[in-house]
Amino acid sequence: MTLLLEMKNITKKYGDFTANHNINFDVRKGEIHALVGENGAGKTTLMRMLYGMEEPTSGSIMINGKEVHFHDPSEAIRQGIGMVHQHFMLFPSFTLAENIVIGGEPKRSGLFDRKAAADKVNELGQMYGMPVDPWRKAGDCPLGVQQRTEILKVLYQGADVIILDEPTGVLTPSEVKELLQSIKRLAAQGKSFILITHKLHEVMEAADRITVLRDGVITGHMESNTTDEEKISRLMVGRDLIPMSRVANEPGASVMHVQNVTLAGAKGAKPLLDNVTLTVRQGEIVGIAGISGNGQSELLQVISGLVQPDSGIVELNGKDVTGDSVRAIREQGMAHIPEDRYMWGASREATVLDNGLMGHQHQYKKGGLIQSHKLRKVVSGWVERFAIKTGSLDTQAQFLSGGNLQKLIAAREFAQNKPFLIAAEPTRGVDVGAMETIHGELLAKCKTGDGILLVSSELTEILKLSDRVLVMYEGAIAGELSAAEATEEQISLLMAGGKRQL
Amino acid sequence: MTRLKRNLFALLQPIIAVIIGLLAGAIAIVLLGDSVIDTYAEMWNGAFGSFYFLTNTLTRATPIILTGLGVALAFRAGFFNMGSTGQMVLGGLAAAITALYLPGPGWMVLVVSLVVGMAIGGLWSLFAGYMDAKFGINLLISTLLLNYIASLFAGYMVAFPLKDQSGSAAMAQTPMIDKSIWLPKLFSGMSLHAGFILAIVAAIALYIFIQKSVSGYEIRMLGNNPFFAAYGGVKRGRMMVVAMLTSGALAGLAGAGEVLGTQHRYLDGALASADYGWSGIMATLLASSNPLGTAVAGILLAALQTGAMGVERNTNVPLEVASVIQAVLTLFVSARFGYAFLKRRKEKK
Amino acid sequence: MDQLFDVSLFNSMLRIVTPILLAALGGAICARVGLFNVGLEGLVLVGAFSAILGNHLLGNVWLAIIFAILCVMLFSLIFAYISINLRANVIVVGISMNFLAAGLTTFCLRAIFDVKGAYYDKNMMGLPKWDIPVIKDIPVLGGIVSGHSPLVYLAFFAAILMQIYLFKTVSGFRLRAAGENPVAAQSLGIPVRRIQYGAVLMSGVLCGLAGAQLSLGQVTMFTEGMTAGRGFIALVATMLGQSNPIGVVASSLLFGFMDAFSIRLQGFALPAQFTQMLPYIVTLVAMFFFKDRSYLKDAQRANGSSR
Repeated sequence: MTLLLEMKNITKKYGDFTANHNINFDVRKGEIHALVGENGAGKTTLMRMLYGMEEPTSGSIMINGKEVHFHDPSEAIRQGIGMVHQHFMLFPSFTLAENIVIGGEPKRSGLFDRKAAADKVNELGQMYGMPVDPWRKAGDCPLGVQQRTEILKVLYQGADVIILDEPTGVLTPSEVKELLQSIKRLAAQGKSFILITHKLHEVMEAADRITVLRDGVITGHMESNTTDEEKISRLMVGRDLIPMSRVANEPGASVMHVQNVTLAGAKGAKPLLDNVTLTVRQGEIVGIAGISGNGQSELLQVISGLVQPDSGIVELNGKDVTGDSVRAIREQGMAHIPEDRYMWGASREATVLDNGLMGHQHQYKKGGLIQSHKLRKVVSGWVERFAIKTGSLDTQAQFLSGGNLQKLIAAREFAQNKPFLIAAEPTRGVDVGAMETIHGELLAKCKTGDGILLVSSELTEILKLSDRVLVMYEGAIAGELSAAEATEEQISLLMAGGKRQL
Repeated sequence: MTRLKRNLFALLQPIIAVIIGLLAGAIAIVLLGDSVIDTYAEMWNGAFGSFYFLTNTLTRATPIILTGLGVALAFRAGFFNMGSTGQMVLGGLAAAITALYLPGPGWMVLVVSLVVGMAIGGLWSLFAGYMDAKFGINLLISTLLLNYIASLFAGYMVAFPLKDQSGSAAMAQTPMIDKSIWLPKLFSGMSLHAGFILAIVAAIALYIFIQKSVSGYEIRMLGNNPFFAAYGGVKRGRMMVVAMLTSGALAGLAGAGEVLGTQHRYLDGALASADYGWSGIMATLLASSNPLGTAVAGILLAALQTGAMGVERNTNVPLEVASVIQAVLTLFVSARFGYAFLKRRKEKK
Repeated sequence: MDQLFDVSLFNSMLRIVTPILLAALGGAICARVGLFNVGLEGLVLVGAFSAILGNHLLGNVWLAIIFAILCVMLFSLIFAYISINLRANVIVVGISMNFLAAGLTTFCLRAIFDVKGAYYDKNMMGLPKWDIPVIKDIPVLGGIVSGHSPLVYLAFFAAILMQIYLFKTVSGFRLRAAGENPVAAQSLGIPVRRIQYGAVLMSGVLCGLAGAQLSLGQVTMFTEGMTAGRGFIALVATMLGQSNPIGVVASSLLFGFMDAFSIRLQGFALPAQFTQMLPYIVTLVAMFFFKDRSYLKDAQRANGSSR
């Protein structure tokens, strides 16, 4: 097979920090090359350079043997490189056809010829076996269709090398299967793919070659038929994974109970929450798995009092808290690590100290004023214990890295010391060390007899920590599995809306 | 960055803005063919040149500071309250009516009039907040429109039912308020009245409230990120009532103070046309909603305005040169929100 | 009721609606690229003043309009630079722009014409009135539609043109893309900043025309703060019309009608203050019908676009 693209001795530095060190990476025509590594290993940085969003500090990029320099994505696009971003780059109010042809719109007598665009999209869909309805609005389509639209868009742009950045994170297992088949078929037709992921079974299923990154350097490079998942994960993490020895506690009385909670959706749409019932007891971690967007966020908002359910009740420590304010519910015994740290969990403009105060503000109140001396001491304690890297307590939160901010938020909520904790995506985007700290804290809290509701889109996290696993699908609980019976396959099946086994 | 360094940095930008503002004024003066140095010297004299001028400046600063403080609190909570002019007008009118028609000892009527002025200003402001919370009506626009409605309503009141029939019939104004109800002057023969003390006390109180109190903390977080505030148990509705009511009350106090301390009657257009409300908003923008900074900026803007009167008296330059300086100043301060962004991007790289 | 509603009421409605419509179209094109332009009021004010100034300097009403357009474009560049390049909060910049406009026009009125409050020159030519052949002879319709300044016709023509531009052309399509998802547009190589600049400049042109109609369209004069909130009413018209040019025409007509109606009412026994209040009250009431938004949604948008 011919070499299509080559990245030679690429190094990228941000100040003192080396994101990529002396990386060699190449792609052949018609192959699927997987780039794997943990969060923060430098995969995205490498691809951003290939796509013209960043420029390398040193090293060169060659396409068909010729050296190229990209200053912005449109130059990369012209050279036949396309990228499907992790967060889709679609225009929700535009039709699929408009989304696909944008940047190369067909014209007739000076005007945008939407009919021709739709025809082209149909033609393209047929050619590559990925049909879409060109006249539908992108915002109304399921995520699988949106993904297909993204791929059709880069194909329309004439891409030969397509970068897929974590393409399966938001898809159901059946959509994942379909996607992997599609890219294999496209590869057979001569297109090349770079598949960025940390899901190893997908890599094993689809990839021809695999490159592993850790801390900005390549730790392994192999043909997929000469390796296995365990070997790759060792290269990714740098050591053998120690299976967490999880001694299950004997669960006690219920700390949080949700009974038949229903939340209506927009007019005509399915309900966001459909008759959900669940219990978290003392000393147990209940995991909620599911593709994001299946009602997990809404469930947490109902439990924490941010949204009122249309019917059903929420009990906390034996008291009905349905319809109570967020503050009342927190005081009744709830702490909450929110799913999106920038939207819900912090204020970027506020200082570390102010961010640490949220939720505690009535505990540090004396005569209406904040006891800032006491607060300072407590927050510095968190900074030390969780090794939060910050200039000072008066640094604005926006200058903290994502992982450090997440640690601050987690510390704040652990410090609430409440009998019930919601931990939503508690380790999203944090490094391995921080993840272990947070996981350790969760398990320790559970050991003291508190109940934890863990929501995560990472199956490994769910499997590692939970005593019981509930799977949500389309706003309902699709099934419940004990720690003993929960396997990745079982959960995946339920996540995709497979058989209910209540 | 250390605290000290950050505070210095925060101070640096308004100073740069002031320099740019004065530069813009200098260009205007040169275009008119006058001497920049002479003009600015006259401006300094007009504002601070003697004790008389200084007290004049502080008198003018009083309503600017009060309305500015009100707006600062609303801005901190994330509410673009542009209605200080209307709130001030209604507060002044209400205070005038109370002072004219409420029987009782002078000091008591004075206190009640101030309180009524604050209450009416606060309620008018809260009305806009209510429409926002309940019906999703854009607060920025509704407060702007309410300004016109308030001014026209007050104009009607003094043109018809409350009109002073005794004096010159041409003026739309209420009768003169009894001397016993006037806000006391601080120095005999000078215009400065006790309202200035109220303004300074309000600035300090508001600073402590915003920076040190729990409710102030909740208001700041609400303004920064409403999702975060909701998540942490901050009740937006309650904070809106607190912020808008206080904001309007301060503007109402500004109006009442002008009526009871300076004009001693409600004169149609006197409060609106002096642009106290807008100067207050400028002061807030200049100080990026810091109450103490707002007080300083209020005095600065008042000094520009009284200084410009001195300029007009003694040179060929018209007093409107002050509006140019003020506006350019505010524009550059508003660009400061941008500097922070550029800085953030640099630190990332 | 014959006295209240007649041909001349609707005739004056078209005249009064023109500055609001032009400014609202300017607001709409800014909104389409994701900039909420609170500075319309100031842009129109600068337009009104510079139209008079241009007329005074150049002695020709057409050159005066071009002069006004150029001045307002220059002025709107400040808004564009601070809000696009420096990424300042657009609302704060818009408010400051209004201050700057008020300050500059007051100063220039004094410095150039040496008057306070208002400038009027009885020798100055205003905009001509165009009688439309054929239509002018149709009863009722002719009385309403014919005999306006050219800017009145231009305003409605501009609305149609903008409708076609936004929804039928490729360039309009990309403009909407830049506003809807700037990050995605950028990643496709669409020059988002350049498009935003273009939109702001276009709104400058429209506001320049709006100002010219205000100061040259009926009585040829400039008074301090003569926009009297029309820029803000235009902003509401933009919102009510959902930034669709045709929708903006409809909502502007409503406000223009109320404005004309309030002037008409002054002939009756009502106090002037109440009739003058009417347009503001109607605008406020109209906003009750525009509420498919919540503060959280707004905040989310603001967060998304400014970071």
